[in-house]
Order: sequence, then structure tokens, then C-alpha cells
Amino acid sequence: MYGFEALTFNIHGGYLEAIVRGYRSGLLTAADYNNLCQCETLDDIKMHLTATEYGPYLQNEPSPLHTTTIVEKCTLKLVDEYKHMLCQATEPLSTFLEYITYGHMIDNVVLIVTGTLHERDVQELLEKCHPLGMFDSIATLAVAQNMRELYRLVLVDTPLAPYFSECITSEDLDDMNIEIMRNTLYKAYLEDFYQFCQKLGGATAEIMSDLLAFEADRRAVNISINSIGTELTRDDRKKLYSNFGLLYPYGHEELAVCEDMDQVRGVMEKYPPYQPIFAKLSYGESQMLDKAFYEEEVKRLCLAFEQQFHYAVFFAYMRLKEQEIRNLMWVSECVAQNQKSRVHDSVVFIF
Amino acid sequence: MEEENGELNPESGRASTKQHQEEEEEEDRKVVKFLDSADSYLDLFESLSSTLRQGWLELATARQSMGASRINSALFDLKYHSAATSLQVIQDDVKQPNFTLCKWVSIDNRNSSTEEAKFDENELFEKNSTNAQLRYRGTSEIQEKRPESNVSTLTVDDQIQKERSKSLSMFGTLVSPKLRSAQISFETALDTLVEMANMRSSLLSTYDQVHKDMASTKVDEKLIAQVQV
Repeated sequence: MYGFEALTFNIHGGYLEAIVRGYRSGLLTAADYNNLCQCETLDDIKMHLTATEYGPYLQNEPSPLHTTTIVEKCTLKLVDEYKHMLCQATEPLSTFLEYITYGHMIDNVVLIVTGTLHERDVQELLEKCHPLGMFDSIATLAVAQNMRELYRLVLVDTPLAPYFSECITSEDLDDMNIEIMRNTLYKAYLEDFYQFCQKLGGATAEIMSDLLAFEADRRAVNISINSIGTELTRDDRKKLYSNFGLLYPYGHEELAVCEDMDQVRGVMEKYPPYQPIFAKLSYGESQMLDKAFYEEEVKRLCLAFEQQFHYAVFFAYMRLKEQEIRNLMWVSECVAQNQKSRVHDSVVFIF
Repeated sequence: MEEENGELNPESGRASTKQHQEEEEEEDRKVVKFLDSADSYLDLFESLSSTLRQGWLELATARQSMGASRINSALFDLKYHSAATSLQVIQDDVKQPNFTLCKWVSIDNRNSSTEEAKFDENELFEKNSTNAQLRYRGTSEIQEKRPESNVSTLTVDDQIQKERSKSLSMFGTLVSPKLRSAQISFETALDTLVEMANMRSSLLSTYDQVHKDMASTKVDEKLIAQVQV
């Protein structure tokens, strides 16, 4: 029953909630970002990050540094923290934590399949996979010729198996089919995660419903914008939208027929939570939309920490850490390209 | 005879003065053309630098939006396929080669297409291959010779758009508008590079002519000095 988590949550989840709140206090602040934005070279960035929680991961990296190295090492820290939490977690928290990584698993599957289609070496592809999305038989993906084989040979034994029911065909894997497969899998994953959180109930269900609904809505907007001018039909586009969220079902009906950015804006401005996001953009502009969505997401994720005795703090921390890594990637790219004037275009401050 | 000579000399003097003036004007024109070419070359250089910076930043923005796993070098297509864009070098004049860019017309597409599509692709080929020359020559003569209906222009533009999407499909079919902008920026940079190559060719050719004129002027001055002595 909602409201009585305080009595029992700490028995199994108290230690890990304390751990994740400790991790949260290690996130970079606005002062840290201001220092990083003033760096002249990637070595300066490394020097500043050595004084933060990323220190042990970056201090032994030789010069010259590359932006991908910085991102890789920062991601390793996230992976270590996640693994520490996962190995300490009991059910249902352990399942909840595993759900958080299924998105990365889907990205890795698509990366391997696409790379194999383009005749790339499997080892090279495995090195580019996100560590949070790895599973044992991932290298075998390179053998599959179509989605049926993909499912039968590899994915049937993975957590992604239930999500394949909607996209099993014997059609050969090509760029369009792979894209549809990616989005169909992600849609199924989000719906499944949503249902799981509803079953958990309490504060977890309430907070995670809001966060996952926002994720579903954002994906719907991105799919609509990215499919403008492509061969994806309106019906196919609508099939990729999740069956929950603020935009479901009427917003999806309208988004499915949008042919340009202004029409998307017209649809979204009818929904009060999204009005401030689109109010920041000028007409026809889509450049700053991602930043506006990230800012809104960070706001909602930070609010998750205001309540205790729920699992959403773990989800919120993982997402905030990923945002931090995105920020570091952007700052590094701007410094490497000598475009420091553009550094504030995409940095989203967390605190 | 002396009177005849006296009548002939002023006319030949006027003729040689006029010829000398014309030669000087011609030399001045060549020098001005050389300086114009140099100025245009430097402008193009700056424009290229700025376009490339913009392209790289847009690519970084696209990675930020779509994720590093969706835009990375591991997704480049290593299957055998013809180049979407090729460069033709026409060397009618050995000293001034001319470069022409043929964009978005791959040999694979041309061989496998239907009759109607071939007609469209030939138009596409001609339009793209003359684009660089149009810009280089700065005249409208070629444009006036090719009457283009609005319908065929739209078809050609659609074809170009399809080719662009096809080349981006290695990163997925639903890509961010930022990635498309980055593609346009790099395409513009390629056009600028070809313009620069043509401009440089013209610059070097004009330089040779000016250098030759200067050398012959020095020889003439030496001869005159010797005669006077």
C-alpha cells in the first residue's frame, strides 16, 4: 500500500538507496562545468577531471588524449557503480536495475547487426558496444541473416526475447528493417518496463510512470521529426509510438501526419507540460529541441531524489550520469575543435 | 625620299605608340586578373575553413543527439559500391586544367535504372556537372542554353535528396536533422574545394602570363639601354 514503504523499504533497499544518494553527490556541479568550459586542450580537461570522482579512471591515460577516450573512461565509472549496486541488490530491485540496461542492449544488438551488414569486423564492433548492454552471446549476432534467425540463434535466451514478437519476419535485414526493428524493440521495452513499475506500486510506480511517460513522448517527437522526408509511411510511423504517455493516443494521431517541424510544434503546444519546451524555440528551428528536452528530463530526474523509499532514484541516477557523460563529450568536442564559443549550446547543468 | 621618309615616320611612330599602349593595357589587364584570382582564392579558402568547422560541429551535435553508438566509424559501409560523387579533370589547356564535380550520380545507379529514371539521371548528371563551371565562369550563358521546366527540376531535386538519404542510411534511416545539416555542410565544402582548384589553376596560368610579360619587358629595356649606349 502506498505510503507504508518507510516501514519495510530499508530492510532490503536501505543500503543501496544510501549508496546511490552518495553517488549523486559526486555529480559535477555548475562550477565544475565552468572550469571545464575554460580549458584550452583535452589535457586541461583531464587535469580538471582528475580532481573529481573521475580521477582514478583518467589519471593514467597517456597524452595525446582523444574525446572518445574521455567518454570511455567516464562510462567505465558508471559501469562500475552500476555493477556494485546490482551485485548487492535483491529482488525486485535487481530486476529493476536490469531493466535500466535493456535500452543499451537494444543499441548494441542494432550496432552489431548493422555493422555486419556493412561487412565490418565483429571484434571492432564489440569494442564500440556500450558495456552496460553486453550479454554472453552477443558476438553470435553476426551470423544471422534475417530477424527470425536473429531471434532463434541468439536473442531467444536474452531478456530482449519477449520484445521480438512484433518484429519477427523472414525479411532480410536491411537499413530500413533494422531501423524499424530498433524502434519496435524499444517501444516494447518501454511498455514492459512501465508495466513492471506499475506492478511494483507505491512511490516507484508513481514517479517512474512520469519519467517513462516523458521518455515515450520524447521518443514519439524524435521519431516524427527524424522521419520527415523519409520513406517511412504514416502508418509505420504510428506503429513505432509507445502505447502510453501524455501524447497517447490523440497526440500520436496528430504527430503521425506531421510533415514539418512547425506542424510538430503545433501538436505539442496543445499539451501544457510541453509548452515551455517549444516556447524556447523559434519557428522552424529544431536545433535546440534536444537541449530543451534534456533540461526538462534533468529537472524531473532531480525531483525523484526529493522522495525516499522508492526505486526511481536508481533510474534517475543512471540517467543523470549519462547526461553528465554527454556533457563531458560535448565540452571535449568543443575544446578539441576550438569552438569554445559554442560550448553552452548543449551543456545541461544538473545542479 | 627624305620628304617621303619624313611623312612615313610620324605615322609609324603613332602606330607604334598605339601598339605600345595596347600592350601595356593588356599587361595591366593580366595583372588585374591575377590579383582578382588571388583575392577570390583567399576568399574561397576562408569560406572552406568556416564551412568545415560548421560541418564538424554539426556532426558532434548529431552524435550528442543520437548517441555515440549510432554515429561512429564502425558503421561505415565497407561493401563494394561506386562513389556517389566523382571528379573530372579536363586538360584541354595543359597549363590550365579544369575540374568538374559530378555529385550524387553513381555508376551503379546509372547501370540499373529504367529508361525514365535514366533520363532523369542524365539531367541530374548534367546539372551537377555544370554547376561548378557555372559558378566558376560566373555567366548565365550555359543556363540560358538549357531550358529547365519546374517539373524536371523538382524530379532532379527529389533524386538528389534520395541519394543523400541513401548515403546517410549507414547510420540508420531515421537520423537527426543535424546529421543531414552536417552532410550539406560537407557537400558545400566539397564544392568549394573544386572551385578553389579551378581558381588556383586560373591563378597559376595568369601568373605565368604576367611573369612572361615581365621577362619580355626586361629584355626590351636592356636592348633599348644597349642601343642608347
